[in-house]
Amino acid sequence: MPITKVPGWHGIIAWDALLNGMATGLFLAAAVSELAAPGVFMRVAKVAYPVALVLLLVDLGLLVLDLGDPLRFHHMLRVFKPSSPMSLGTWCLTIFSLPLTAAAGLSLLAELGWDFEWARITAVVVGLLPGFGSAAYKGVLLSTNAQPGWKDARWLGGYLTNSALLMGCAELLVLSAVMGQTQAIAILRTAFIVLLVLNVIPLGLLFANLRPAHALLYTREQQWRVGALIAAGALIPLGLMLSKGDLLFILVAVIVLLAESWFVRFVYVKIPHTSPLEVRRGE
Amino acid sequence: MASREMELSGLHQSNDPPRSRLSEVLRRLIYPFQRGEALKPRPATGFYTDTTVCIGCKACEVACKQWNQLPSDGFNFSGNSYDNTNELSATTWRHVKFIEQFSHESSSNLVSGNLTSLDQLVSLETVSNESPLNRWLMMSDHCKHCVAAPCHQACPTGAIVQNEFQNIYIQADICNGCSCCIAACPFGVITRSDMGGHSHKCTLCYDRQRDGLEPACAKACPTQSIHFGPVDELREQARKRVEQLHQRGVPQAYLYGDVPSETYSEMHSFYLLVDRPSIYGLPDAPFNPWLHMMGDYVRSVAGGLAAIAVLLVVVFLLKP
Repeated sequence: MPITKVPGWHGIIAWDALLNGMATGLFLAAAVSELAAPGVFMRVAKVAYPVALVLLLVDLGLLVLDLGDPLRFHHMLRVFKPSSPMSLGTWCLTIFSLPLTAAAGLSLLAELGWDFEWARITAVVVGLLPGFGSAAYKGVLLSTNAQPGWKDARWLGGYLTNSALLMGCAELLVLSAVMGQTQAIAILRTAFIVLLVLNVIPLGLLFANLRPAHALLYTREQQWRVGALIAAGALIPLGLMLSKGDLLFILVAVIVLLAESWFVRFVYVKIPHTSPLEVRRGE
Repeated sequence: MASREMELSGLHQSNDPPRSRLSEVLRRLIYPFQRGEALKPRPATGFYTDTTVCIGCKACEVACKQWNQLPSDGFNFSGNSYDNTNELSATTWRHVKFIEQFSHESSSNLVSGNLTSLDQLVSLETVSNESPLNRWLMMSDHCKHCVAAPCHQACPTGAIVQNEFQNIYIQADICNGCSCCIAACPFGVITRSDMGGHSHKCTLCYDRQRDGLEPACAKACPTQSIHFGPVDELREQARKRVEQLHQRGVPQAYLYGDVPSETYSEMHSFYLLVDRPSIYGLPDAPFNPWLHMMGDYVRSVAGGLAAIAVLLVVVFLLKP
């Protein structure tokens, strides 16, 4: 029996980790692309920021709901404590929400004819650093603790931040496809393929970290099954993207990627919460 | 008991000033940001628990519950020796562990043995005393009040503080139940209460200490297994006791947590043990998770920067 006590973070935190990556990744992918090639990405970026804001608001809602006392969520802002990944993350998310809201609001206003381009670009640039911090803290929060399995996951942060950018690129690709932005689609499709391959590195390193914990918890057959699902989640989008770049293929590829991303987070979050009854159920 | 306490906490107190809904909301918003004056540091205090003299009477558990007004956990049969509280929790800040170490052979001898003379009884006692597997270990467990406490480092609200006695203290009115402290504690001490959703653990009777009293558990301990006092004095006292035990033929006696290791700080509550820490449900080599934090941040940032670099390269290469 483990000595430590489980924190009670399970389903809701797997969704939080997914939505955090989707929101921050979409903003970062859109901002980086727009700043690097405004002529190609400006239109799709103006749609991406409001979508990222909606995703972030849902994520913040989940974070608040997961507290033991949700009405005290503002207590997180009493102190700034860099030694606490949760404190650093809360401050990053709070600061990030301001330029993201401004960028989203100004993008919507631009659609209505009130164009404050300099202000919108300023908000996008200001949001880069806290947006990156909001993506980067989550993995460190879930690996800097004493929980069995989690405490050994040295590459969780590397995987989650990389995965956030991958998901962001994928979401931006879907938006570009829906909006019919052919130049953006061509660039993002290539970037998506390279990022899919790149993401396999931190994912592999993470599962190498988790192997001893998984060997204790699951049978070899169960481990193979999980590995096969995750591999399929990476290979199917890759195959689809390499074969064709139309809307249907892009949609299916991105949905499969998001499902795989959620599954990896779920498998990870579940480790210390696995009840003794579920341990090695097959044996 | 627990539900009764919930009812009571919901009742209006006669000395509460009347408040409108708006002023109540404002109070809730502003209150956590109000700061008092920092207290002057006092000599560090802690516990030294000598497990060799613990008799498992649970007077410490009862005294802790009584003084801190902690509700009962129910009277459950755990099937684990005389233990019926099982573990430290939000409502059990002291927990007496029972570790039975009896070999089947000797116990069957004791049961089926036909003791006809005093000599035979003496010889059986001698065998039991000599065999390390014929004993009953008891240990009164509690928060270790670590000097570099992972729970303190993890707490994002500042609810967990090191008070003027250098004890780790949870401010229940500030904690919002994020559970970071629970995930961080390598000893499984802290638990979130089902009643309020906040984390709770041993306060080392902060209120009693401020009034110059010793903690309730130490006061109640009838065998002086639980010693309370300035940490330096306790360490000296504990080392003398270890030497004494070594001289009396207990060479396996040692102190757990009195000095820092490579991976963990010293603890202001430490133990005298006579078996491996894991036998007592303690980690053999406690590890402070914060030793990995910087490396984890570096890998996290590297993972993100690599992806941004790829995106930028592709955009610059393929843009018209």
